[in-house]
Amino acid sequence: MGETFGLLMHGFSIALTPLNLLWGLIGTMLGTFIGVLPGVGPALTVAMLMPLTVKLDPTGALIMFAGIYYGAMYGGSTTTILLNTPGESASIATALEGNMMAKNGRAGPALATCAIGSFVAGTIATILVTLLAPLVVEVALKFGPTEYFALMVFAFTTVAAVIGSSTVRGLTSLFLGLLLGVVGIDSQTGKSRFAFGVPELLDGIDVVVLAVGLFAVGEALYVAAYASRLEEKLEQIKGSLWMSKQDWQRSWPAWLRATAIGFPFGSIPAGGAEIPTFLSYAVEKRLTKYPEEFGHGAIEGVAGPEAANNASVTGALVPLLTLGIPTSATAAVLLSAFQNYGISPGPLLFQMQPDLVWGLLASLYIGNVLLLILNLPLVGMWVKVLTIPQPLLYAGILVFATLGAYSLHQSVVDLITLYVFGLLGFAMRRWDIPVAPAVIGLILGPLAETQARRALAISQGDATVFITHPISGSILALSLALLILPVIVKLRRRN
Amino acid sequence: MKAKPAELILSLAILVLGIATAIGTAQLPSAGGYARIGPNVAPGVIASGLILLGIWLLYETFTGGWRNAVDDDPAARGEHRFTPSGFIWVSLGVIAEILLIDRGGFVLAQAVLFAAVARGFGSVKLPRDFAIGVILSLSIFLFFVKFLNVNLPAGWLKPILGGAGI
Repeated sequence: MGETFGLLMHGFSIALTPLNLLWGLIGTMLGTFIGVLPGVGPALTVAMLMPLTVKLDPTGALIMFAGIYYGAMYGGSTTTILLNTPGESASIATALEGNMMAKNGRAGPALATCAIGSFVAGTIATILVTLLAPLVVEVALKFGPTEYFALMVFAFTTVAAVIGSSTVRGLTSLFLGLLLGVVGIDSQTGKSRFAFGVPELLDGIDVVVLAVGLFAVGEALYVAAYASRLEEKLEQIKGSLWMSKQDWQRSWPAWLRATAIGFPFGSIPAGGAEIPTFLSYAVEKRLTKYPEEFGHGAIEGVAGPEAANNASVTGALVPLLTLGIPTSATAAVLLSAFQNYGISPGPLLFQMQPDLVWGLLASLYIGNVLLLILNLPLVGMWVKVLTIPQPLLYAGILVFATLGAYSLHQSVVDLITLYVFGLLGFAMRRWDIPVAPAVIGLILGPLAETQARRALAISQGDATVFITHPISGSILALSLALLILPVIVKLRRRN
Repeated sequence: MKAKPAELILSLAILVLGIATAIGTAQLPSAGGYARIGPNVAPGVIASGLILLGIWLLYETFTGGWRNAVDDDPAARGEHRFTPSGFIWVSLGVIAEILLIDRGGFVLAQAVLFAAVARGFGSVKLPRDFAIGVILSLSIFLFFVKFLNVNLPAGWLKPILGGAGI
């Protein structure tokens, strides 16, 4: 514990250098600015802003990314409340009550409870990450490739099969991502797979191209086709931004409960902030003294889900940093940002590059404070962003999105794949196939393959090691149970 | 209940993709050296998965349709009817960008993309949109080339932008 504190203080000494503080500030501002844009979620924000960091040193770049990551979420909640267009599934619960509050002329307190709740939940969750990460690293250092492979299978199962409206569609998305992941040169044998003689494909498909294709091009195609002629009502901020005494009394227990719900969901590799936000909404609805207000703008219904979202997204940094396993589309894009710098997150990262890890963790605290200071006073500016007409807005999003994909390798092939992924994204959106499993499958698939091969090389080809090793055996059994149990329950109910 | 054409096509597409992956996998070498698992093992697993999922989706298609799917009626989803022009203009914008960027250069390609996407979203002020697109992409171009030292193609505008460093 004392050691952790010392390391964290060292981290602050890195994050608080003027230059790194500046990157953090730019990151939070840009993240909020892009995150406010309707239809742009955090994953797309991080992917679009990635080219801006090419010239930074790794620590500075990651500090900027931490700012972008948090800023994107704060920005998203503003849009959710004022425009009722949740940028991602984890914001749907916030939209339920938040937009009703704005309609009733209480947009100010709704935004305030989001901003302060995100700060409270984000800070508590960051403290928990700081305390938990070194412990997980201790355990993870004892893991071999067998255990890693099992953990990755577990992450696949939860992301694809447990979250979302349909197991089969989630798994389909995952397998599409896994298929894209094997394109290119096989890292172990140097054989080319499914590259069809296209030299640009030998390097594999970049996660950024897939994420931008699905989230930006696919989204633009979909909205242009189905929602471009709709009137969107932007709620005005009337009256005070500040929360009344009653607002405070109703908000803070919701923030704390939501943090307790959100953090565990994020930190076990069972990612997705969607479940905890709805869980928190349900809990607040049950515990409230004002049940009649639910559905008409209850402040607990905004405070809870928003805090749960932040706690869970922050918690997701535990598996990402300590195990190298992303559990959300945003974390997958972050992982690819790490990889661009030649950094592979995992327990060894804590030993090899403590400056980077602890500087990043310290910058999370700073990012939270910066956002609290910046977000509310600047809310007028963010609202102006929302008044950009939809045609110009989406045109701008596509200019930046294609820039992000093109500037990776200055290659037209990336733009062609981007458009193909855009068509895929359109179809997935229209027929309700989740996109996050594909993004996670693409980045995690090759890592899982490598671990499986290492495990089999150690066991000299004996495939039973995955089951006979107690830890990997139980994780795999748990994954199987998560897949099969819902089917059994359904069959039983039918009888 | 009749199978919905879209669900049928998508399910078949997954099945066909799985079969194609299996055929591609069969052409990969199986020797894996000391690792004992060759480059064909993971694709084989993925191919089998896709084939099984394709069959599963087909089964759902013919037994009452995909489960928990979104409503086919756009009005029920809070949206308007499918507008082909929106879809086509956005597509044309990206395709034009792909064709233009290496020869015509970044600024022109992005400005055309900007104007086409705005058109797809119902804007009728084409010259204004193109002008905004030029200003936006020119600023990005200068920022990337001058400040970040990331090369972007100047293309046909090279005589004007030539001093920008490419």
